[in-house]
Amino acid sequence: MSLFTILLSALLVNNFVLVRFLGICPFMGVSKQVDSAIGMGLATTFVMVVAAAATWLIQWFILEPFGLPFLQNMSFILVIASMVQLVEMFLHKTSPGLYRAMGIFLPLITTNCAILGLAIMAVQNSYTFIETVIFALGGGLGFTLALILLAGIREELQFADIPKPLRGAGIAFILAGLLSLAFGGFAGLV
Amino acid sequence: MRLFKDFVRGLWAENPTFRLLIGLCPTLAVTTSAINGMSMGLATAFVLLCSSALISLLKNVIPGKVRIPAYIIVIATFVTIVDLVMNAYMPDLHQVLGLFIPLIVVNCIVLGRAEAFASKNGVVSSAVDGLGMGLGFTWALTLLGSIREILGAGSIFGVALLPEGTTTLGIMALPPGAFITLGVLIAVMNMIAARQKKTS
Amino acid sequence: MNESLKMVVVLAVIAMASAGILSVVYGTTSVIIEENAARALESSVFEVLPNVSRVEIIRRSADELGVDDPKEMREQEQRTTLIYQGIDSNEQVVGYAFVGEANGYGGVIRILVGVDEVTDEILNIKVLSHTETPGLGSRIEDESFRSRFIGKTVEDPIAINRDIDNISGATVSATAAADAVRQGFVNASAVYRGGE
Repeated sequence: MSLFTILLSALLVNNFVLVRFLGICPFMGVSKQVDSAIGMGLATTFVMVVAAAATWLIQWFILEPFGLPFLQNMSFILVIASMVQLVEMFLHKTSPGLYRAMGIFLPLITTNCAILGLAIMAVQNSYTFIETVIFALGGGLGFTLALILLAGIREELQFADIPKPLRGAGIAFILAGLLSLAFGGFAGLV
Repeated sequence: MRLFKDFVRGLWAENPTFRLLIGLCPTLAVTTSAINGMSMGLATAFVLLCSSALISLLKNVIPGKVRIPAYIIVIATFVTIVDLVMNAYMPDLHQVLGLFIPLIVVNCIVLGRAEAFASKNGVVSSAVDGLGMGLGFTWALTLLGSIREILGAGSIFGVALLPEGTTTLGIMALPPGAFITLGVLIAVMNMIAARQKKTS
Repeated sequence: MNESLKMVVVLAVIAMASAGILSVVYGTTSVIIEENAARALESSVFEVLPNVSRVEIIRRSADELGVDDPKEMREQEQRTTLIYQGIDSNEQVVGYAFVGEANGYGGVIRILVGVDEVTDEILNIKVLSHTETPGLGSRIEDESFRSRFIGKTVEDPIAINRDIDNISGATVSATAAADAVRQGFVNASAVYRGGE
């Protein structure tokens, strides 16, 4: 399985948000404006790649050799939480501009199930290190794409006359359903 | 009376799925049938009940600064227990729910109740609150699963409702069906809540 | 200082208690989980080996694995290929069945392969699990594709476009399926032929 196929599969065919249902909370929460959608998407992609690399090392150099598969869940979530902290501190010190753009999204990323889900799936598929990183990149960019698409539509809908009970989350879910339907068209793109 | 209030809060007024809109990933992903939705809900309810009770017990021991990592460890322990036990005794169900069992650990409901309720209240009310929230989550998932199963497969809890050969809306069992059904359900719940407000 | 010491101690105690509880739960459940998986496989073995009346799992002795501790031995066995021996009503060995795995388009493809005891040719294969695209990659399950493997031996290349015809539009899935069969065959035959 080539790296390009992994990237394409994670990005479009098995889009993390619209097909695999991972990372729905930030998808609904931060998709009101395109600007913040881009910030959230890129920050998540960045943490995904870093966390996927770290959890890969933990799985194959600690958990597997010592026969501790039952500690996978716990070690992964703790690593992801500390990675988010590290990324936050690192950005704060080195690139204040980027920190201002991404900073507010970082604490929200820990509980984004797309990141833990990605780490576990990479192990289940026994990807190599490079494959894991590419998988994370594809997943992150796919998340960003879905977020920007939904935010774009929601911005347009601001002045539309939506029935009152559907306003907010209701219409957003139906829009996501239509997007998901459109992404169904990528199935079979080998 | 207070305990009863703690219990019903999660069922309606602060229902995690319809009112608070949290824990949405498993809500959408596993509700392809009523039984799957219910099982996922019960697994989450078990984790919520146990972790809320234990965190409430430990609230005076855990220093404030490290409370979040401590909570995560407690929650991850219960999640792993559920994962292993389900895999051993209910392998078919475990196969279907798959990835979303370990992902209970990042379900915002669990950590949210630990931080917002269990760390400030007694053991009994924390356990009752956890159970209420868990069952609120369960009925929401069961409802969503039932609707999708009826429309998508023409059956409920595996019992066929429509005669064999009837054309069903296959799309309801696929990802788009999940999003659209939840969107419509949230709108319906909003209508009910608005009507309640008007009458009271 | 005192406070930070307390933080470390509390976290360490919680983490240790949790790891202790989990290792106990894992110890009890992992045996059952393995049993379940083995039993689920057993029924599939009948589909890839004809005329089989009972199935036995070939377990290697502690000497062969080079360990004495039973717990460690179980872990060793988990990591190496599990091989089934199909036995007919006359107590004759019909053939062997084993699982091969490879990464397809959507995830891991697991294929059970049945091999004849005498001729060492593939008798049949069965796709146990896959997450390929329905209608395209999922055609690796079709009889017309599976039959392309029948008669191959471990000496054959077992590769798409060499001795196995491709499925048009599903190259990745078909290649992965062939990889799974070949890998499983090579690993397993080394074990059951080596033991004779």
